Amino acid sequence: MKLRRVLAVRAAKLVGKISRKMGRQGVTWAGLVARLIYPDILQDLAGQLRGKSFIVCGTNGKTTTNNLLCSAIEAEGKKIICNRTGSNMQNGVVAAFVLAADHHGKIDADYACIEIDEASTLRVLPRFKPDFMVLTNLFRDQLDRYGEIDMTMEILKKAMQMAPDMVLLINGDDSLSTALAMDAGNRYLTYGISEKVFDGDENSEIREGRFCKKCGAKMKYHFYHYSQLGDYECPNCGFKRPKIVYDASHIFVGDHLEFDVENRRICANYRGFYNIYNILAAYSAGRASGLSMNHFQDTLTHFNPENGRMEHFFIDGTKVELNLAKNPAGFNQNIAAVMEDETPKDIIILINDRFQDGEDVSWLWDVDFDRFKEETICSITVTGIRCLDMRLRLKYVDIPAQVERNVEKAIREKIKNGVGNLYVLVNYTGLYSTRNTLKRMEEESR
Amino acid sequence: MKLTIGHLYPDLLNLYGDRGNIQCMMKRCEWRGIEAQTISYRLEDPIDFDKLDIVLLGGGSDREQMLVCSRLKEIRDDFKRFVEKDGVVLAICGGYQLLGNFYETKDGKIEGLGLVDLYTVQKKGRLIRNIIIKSELFERPIVGFENHGGRTCIKDNKPLGKVIYGKGNDGKSGYEGVIYKNVIGTYLHGPVLPKNPDLCDYILKKALERKYGSVELLPLDDTQEHQANEYIVKRYEDKMQNLKEEILRRI
Repeated sequence: MKLRRVLAVRAAKLVGKISRKMGRQGVTWAGLVARLIYPDILQDLAGQLRGKSFIVCGTNGKTTTNNLLCSAIEAEGKKIICNRTGSNMQNGVVAAFVLAADHHGKIDADYACIEIDEASTLRVLPRFKPDFMVLTNLFRDQLDRYGEIDMTMEILKKAMQMAPDMVLLINGDDSLSTALAMDAGNRYLTYGISEKVFDGDENSEIREGRFCKKCGAKMKYHFYHYSQLGDYECPNCGFKRPKIVYDASHIFVGDHLEFDVENRRICANYRGFYNIYNILAAYSAGRASGLSMNHFQDTLTHFNPENGRMEHFFIDGTKVELNLAKNPAGFNQNIAAVMEDETPKDIIILINDRFQDGEDVSWLWDVDFDRFKEETICSITVTGIRCLDMRLRLKYVDIPAQVERNVEKAIREKIKNGVGNLYVLVNYTGLYSTRNTLKRMEEESR
Repeated sequence: MKLTIGHLYPDLLNLYGDRGNIQCMMKRCEWRGIEAQTISYRLEDPIDFDKLDIVLLGGGSDREQMLVCSRLKEIRDDFKRFVEKDGVVLAICGGYQLLGNFYETKDGKIEGLGLVDLYTVQKKGRLIRNIIIKSELFERPIVGFENHGGRTCIKDNKPLGKVIYGKGNDGKSGYEGVIYKNVIGTYLHGPVLPKNPDLCDYILKKALERKYGSVELLPLDDTQEHQANEYIVKRYEDKMQNLKEEILRRI
């Protein structure tokens, strides 16, 4: 087996190198080659870890949570394996381990933080039994790929039951995650926000989980944070929001974020309420595994994800913020984060419909774009494969938009003639290329 | 002139941007100065069909459709009377299946409303892709996105259109959707109405005519609607594109 392992590792590294030379991330092919040579490679390498392992699942916030957790654990002085690029299917997971191994197929690491696409858990968990699964949330996403949210829950339940000793760390404010954790039977811990943060209840938003997953009765919500996240209770069967272990309080949401957890004040230079959950999830995961997380604030202050999630670029005097928005819950949170900025701004929205994006663009109509009907929004440009659908969506909330099929041209136009404050919101397959374009433009402008 | 749209159980049946169909009908009324309102019904609400001009029945997951099913029995007679008196109904995907006599899934049989003589059987493999159909009613093709495990047999009823690209009712017959009196059932998401303004206007016109007699709708500038529609039509005129998507789907 040792020979096979060494061969698999070396071949994968070579393939990774070649495909990187060809301008790709190179991770997926490396993982595939390693697996073809040695199907049990993941089991073998993961077994060499000295400490704990985490996987991060959930619809939104996987990459941010996983990368922050990884940085935070490193700050505690541990060596770690992580799939930072966000390649989260089976091959990406395998590649994270293979590319971290030395030429003898040996792993020198304490911890592993691995983000996994929900649908891929069934292929990964038979070979890799993590100590913890962080489940960020469950929202509707890519219904054409996953069928419907019920099917995603079925998959995750099976995956959880494949690793019965794995402890779940769930967002207790999410009734779907909670019902799933109870149903699966694994031990679970919770994080959440017990105080009401937003006034009013916006009933227009499309929400999952209005009905109890256990008995089908209509759930009662004491308040909503956003989407179906909030304080819920089923009047029929008694299912309700569980007691929260890692509870965030004294929340501030504005041009930055602040909250208390375990008597520590956490500050982050981000906007967007949803990021509180990502930060809280990473913190709680570290704590749950027994780490002190004394360096967490420091990590957060210097955390630069460099992966197109709220990433900033400065190009010829224009501040550009790139962000991923790939489903209604995520897009609505993104819009809220953009609107926290009260200065004038231009917006570019890129919508693709490749397989990884979901081929069905119906979800655009579940996003509350009417919140863009503000004076501070100076212009909206639509781009990407389905830009015409995006323009039409905006027409039906009386927002005019310009079409520019070429992303780079759209960005250049706003840098030249815009207000100096540009937001670029893209869905999945547009992220990598748009980020490269922005990086190149930033370098050229220096 | 005034139209009242009844949205049935959006709490449960609101998959895939069904909300966009409501928005589309409301806006196209507003732009023409026609007063329009939408009433959203929750499962426990009584429905007075005499107050409604258009009923929208959207799609839900199988589990949610089960929840709706028991309630449907109670409104079936009133709904039937509405349909027989030429009430206008748009039923999408799961809603389309519920129009029929039954929907047979692997977990059991869901009894339908029996408004249109059709039935649906769930089979292995979902039919998922962009779809283009040609209806006799309109010059332009209707475009949308289909995603269904059920195969619907419409018996002797008239289909909404002929499949140009995609799978349609059952993946075999070459037809999509159903038209019975003023009821339109279809698997098309997208949502279906914004990119097919002719279909939206057809629905609005039928509803207005039922109430006010002969009506002419003011024309609107539909350039953006037509461009979005044409993009899909053109995309699948390209045989290479069809082949590419077929290959990607299989690997």
